[in-house]
Amino acid sequence: MADRSILGLFQEAEPAADAMDGLAQAGFEAGTFDVLTGTPYPEGAFGEHVPQHRLFRFPAFGAIIGFTTAILLTAGTQIAFPMVTGGKPILSLFAMIIIVYEMTMLSAVIATVIGIIFESRLPNMNPGAYDERITEGWIGVVISVESTRAQEAESVLKTAGALEIKHAS
Amino acid sequence: MATNSALAGQATAPESHAGHGSDAGHVVLRPADVKTTLIASTTAGARGFKRWSIVLGVLTIVGIAGIVLKAVQSLDDQTEWGYTAAIAAFLLTVGGGAPLVAVAPVLAKANWVRPLTRLSAAFSLMGVVTIAIMVPLVAVLPPLVTEGARRRSIWFESPDLTPHVMIFLAMGTLLLAGLGLFYTSAMPDFAAMRDHSTGWRRNVGKSLARGWVGSTVQWRTLRMRIGMFGTFYFLVLIYTHFVFTSDFAMGVVPGWRDAIFPMYHSMSSIQAGVAVTIIAAWAARRYLGLQDYLRLDQFWSLGRLLFATSLLWVYFFFSAFIVFWYGRSLADIAWVDMFIRGPMIWAFIPGMFMSFLLPWWWLIWNRVRTSVNGPTIGAVIVLFGLLLDRMRIYVSAWSVPPEQIHERYLHTIPDTVWPDTFDYMIIVGALSAAALVMLLIFRVIPIVSIWQTQEYQLLSKPVKYLRGHGVLVAKPD
Amino acid sequence: MQQRRVLDQVETNRILLNGQLNTPKWWLPTVLGLGVVVLIGFVIIGFMVNRGLGVTGLSRPVYWGLFITTFVFWVGISHAGIMISAILRLTQAEWRRPVTRAAELLTVFSLLTALIFPLIHAGRPWRIAYWILPYDFARGIFPNIRSPLIMDPVAIGTYLTGSTLFLYVALLPDLGNLRDRTRGWQKTLYTVLALGWRGNPRQWKLQTVGGILLSALMLPIFVSVHSIVSWDFAITPAVEGWHSTIFAPYFVIGAVHSGVSAVVTMMALMRWLWKWDDFIRPEHFDALARLLIVVATAWLGFTFLELVFAIYSLDAPEIALRELQIFSWPWNLMFGVFLMTGYIIPVGMWLFKSVRNNIALMFWTSLFVNIGMWLERFMIIVPGLSRRTPFVYTWDSYRPSLVEWSILVWSVAWVTFLMLLFSRFFPLVPLFEQKESQIFVDKIKIGRVNVPAILREQE
Repeated sequence: MADRSILGLFQEAEPAADAMDGLAQAGFEAGTFDVLTGTPYPEGAFGEHVPQHRLFRFPAFGAIIGFTTAILLTAGTQIAFPMVTGGKPILSLFAMIIIVYEMTMLSAVIATVIGIIFESRLPNMNPGAYDERITEGWIGVVISVESTRAQEAESVLKTAGALEIKHAS
Repeated sequence: MATNSALAGQATAPESHAGHGSDAGHVVLRPADVKTTLIASTTAGARGFKRWSIVLGVLTIVGIAGIVLKAVQSLDDQTEWGYTAAIAAFLLTVGGGAPLVAVAPVLAKANWVRPLTRLSAAFSLMGVVTIAIMVPLVAVLPPLVTEGARRRSIWFESPDLTPHVMIFLAMGTLLLAGLGLFYTSAMPDFAAMRDHSTGWRRNVGKSLARGWVGSTVQWRTLRMRIGMFGTFYFLVLIYTHFVFTSDFAMGVVPGWRDAIFPMYHSMSSIQAGVAVTIIAAWAARRYLGLQDYLRLDQFWSLGRLLFATSLLWVYFFFSAFIVFWYGRSLADIAWVDMFIRGPMIWAFIPGMFMSFLLPWWWLIWNRVRTSVNGPTIGAVIVLFGLLLDRMRIYVSAWSVPPEQIHERYLHTIPDTVWPDTFDYMIIVGALSAAALVMLLIFRVIPIVSIWQTQEYQLLSKPVKYLRGHGVLVAKPD
Repeated sequence: MQQRRVLDQVETNRILLNGQLNTPKWWLPTVLGLGVVVLIGFVIIGFMVNRGLGVTGLSRPVYWGLFITTFVFWVGISHAGIMISAILRLTQAEWRRPVTRAAELLTVFSLLTALIFPLIHAGRPWRIAYWILPYDFARGIFPNIRSPLIMDPVAIGTYLTGSTLFLYVALLPDLGNLRDRTRGWQKTLYTVLALGWRGNPRQWKLQTVGGILLSALMLPIFVSVHSIVSWDFAITPAVEGWHSTIFAPYFVIGAVHSGVSAVVTMMALMRWLWKWDDFIRPEHFDALARLLIVVATAWLGFTFLELVFAIYSLDAPEIALRELQIFSWPWNLMFGVFLMTGYIIPVGMWLFKSVRNNIALMFWTSLFVNIGMWLERFMIIVPGLSRRTPFVYTWDSYRPSLVEWSILVWSVAWVTFLMLLFSRFFPLVPLFEQKESQIFVDKIKIGRVNVPAILREQE
């Protein structure tokens, strides 16, 4: 079980990509090491493990919940208090559509936001090794390893040109 | 490379980044190959072309016979011409809207549209068929003053036959604007035909290229003209829909006042334009072997547009519907009874499914959009939906007896009018004539613009970014 | 893109986080000044609530006046955010980057403000509780969902919630940045809000995909909101000039026109106040002005259709209304000002590149648009009601009172106040978007020319 988080800091992208290559070649499992940047880079730029996600399920799930709730709410309340207004039927489908539409969309948006946060693996209260300079343009290559392989990981990072190494448990 | 050190010196230009026949990724084509392949597309599939043009030609003649026979039988009875009005509206909607695919994304500097500009602009020439069908319709359209009183019209106090003249003026201008857009952007390709094809195509290229040599001034003028014709075309298209919808639909139904209707019509025109472009691109891939030119990127982008326009279609529909449904004035009730739950409900329900519900549910899936067949199936559904929708509107509208035209609202909802033999002949003939026009155009000029494809090759470059791959796409100011 | 100066990330942080880390000297006095205006506004609202709607100029038959006009106006302004953020994101327009955050923020605060107007317009705002929430399970009496007055809060509530969440999600990377640049209680605040953001590929991918997904979800909401507001008017045949099928898209396109213009106004202010010349550049104003020419012309087309098909009916009351709106004093003056400021002056000027690239002129012309658009709403709502119609036995011309004008001024101060307050704690320009554009923007050399280019990832 990985118990140490080691961060190599780079000022340029190329050596950071070299470090990622080096870690892969040294046999560290994909997914245990990652690159941290202050801005999005093109996907795969560092040869990193391409993240898979299930974000698209969230809005669908949210929409279903919103739709069902809205149908129950609009139909239920009108049946519970059946007062004819404007000569319209008690269950006025076309008026219901508007409310149902809004509630479906609202629910889908809320679910999407939950999905984005969840799939981003947030909130993360124990983020491991990190450096504030990453949001100033430095690039961090971070790896979670067992203590026994910490030395090896650190050496790969240094060989690639890491300017600094930081540790966290 | 002032801004980007990681890219510096790493641009690569492999012969084919994705490989021939693969739909994904970026493909690098040599300029000479582009020219040869695309010019060859004008002669490709000669046997199939001959067979199809004979079939379509015969069906066109059948359509003409249908119009003549119907005119002989009922030129004095407006209520017999609903299906003819519907097919005219359909062709205006489809043919008129397609060139916008060539205009709007170009203004937004979208590169994916480059292989589609020729195809979509050519649809404006279907206007020839639409104008021809308008002749009997104009002949049966009642004048502004009928039975001693002036009817409601957007022309108010104008001379009696203003709508009759204005529709030809509008459609004629639209056709000319479309022709201008099509021809202007085709000049460099006519020059290519002049220089690299043989026989009569070479002669056609020579006379239509008009001395094109590709000088800086010519290119600058060309871009300016495309922009001008594109903008002009769009404005005329909206105007034509405005005139057509108010004179040939709203004007013949008492009490129908629907300010959104021209925009609804224009909106569906954009939707149908996207749909027909997808279908034509699919056919060009299938029958002319242009897989390297009309790629997944084009279908994916058009699929997204079709999805968006299908949503807009239902939005425009609902915006009108909810106002009538809530309004409950006598005119409002008559509208709902006439156009929704009335005589054409058989067209309304499948039309709603095919214009919105089915394409929405189909195209919402990313996997469907990122395919060639997915958007094409969606496009076919949309076009069927549109045809039904135009029937719903125009057959209902034209079935109102002219003696009711001065009423404040429609007192009696007419019965369902079913198509007769002549209507079937006209519908099939009109569609065949339109298809024939398109078929003939692409025997003269390549279906994919040579110069636009070459320009795209110049403006895009596959690059390696650190360990990843991407395409650097230039966006000239 | 030629006007671009290349800045490294440290420099970008320094400039764009100056609102939070190095608050400008003008900020505190301005916020205090606005705070006083806002406070006075609240006192006036309190006075009106205490005395009742008699202190306004509202009277039968004009029961919807300046408050409802201003409500529609602010809902219109709120269309700025999603228009800029979602549409331009989906179309991958590079120039959107510096303006998205401020536009989304304007959406949130203008919607909040819009919601206040029907509330105070109700006269006894506490009774709102019976109108929407809580649902009255005890007595079995429920709101009438067939009424647009129920649809309105549902739509605006959806839009407000969605926009706020959208804003927050897109703020996460910048909150991480602020966390790294601050100390003490501020660091604690940003640490909590950033939720442990680190900037790994998974988080960036979710930002990108989530941004696109949320944009696609927010767009239909954005369209529905002003459409539903328009149906407050359009579904009733009782008032001439309101019962028109075109109202929904007409309101939406008008809202986009006024909202995007408000973004231009705000961008000019941001450039001047925070000196963000390197980020908010003339090319952005140029692009927005081009967009506005198209939007404004489409809006004018809808205005034309609305007018033509009103007269088309040949109904005497409808024609009388149009005569009142266009030819009778003082409506004719308002109509003239509306047309000049809403379209003719600004669009006429935007046709010239020199104007589009002149920030001062863009500022004033965009302000003009919103004067025109406010008048447009006023002219839609009031003349239709103020006509003497057959079954109206009391009628009065409507003149907004000082209380109403004061509350209008308050609303402008309130939105500005909230924006400035936000700017003290959160960056108005998305930093990560700026930095991203520096990664993705490049040039292709064609012959002797370097053409601006964008790096696109392969599908």
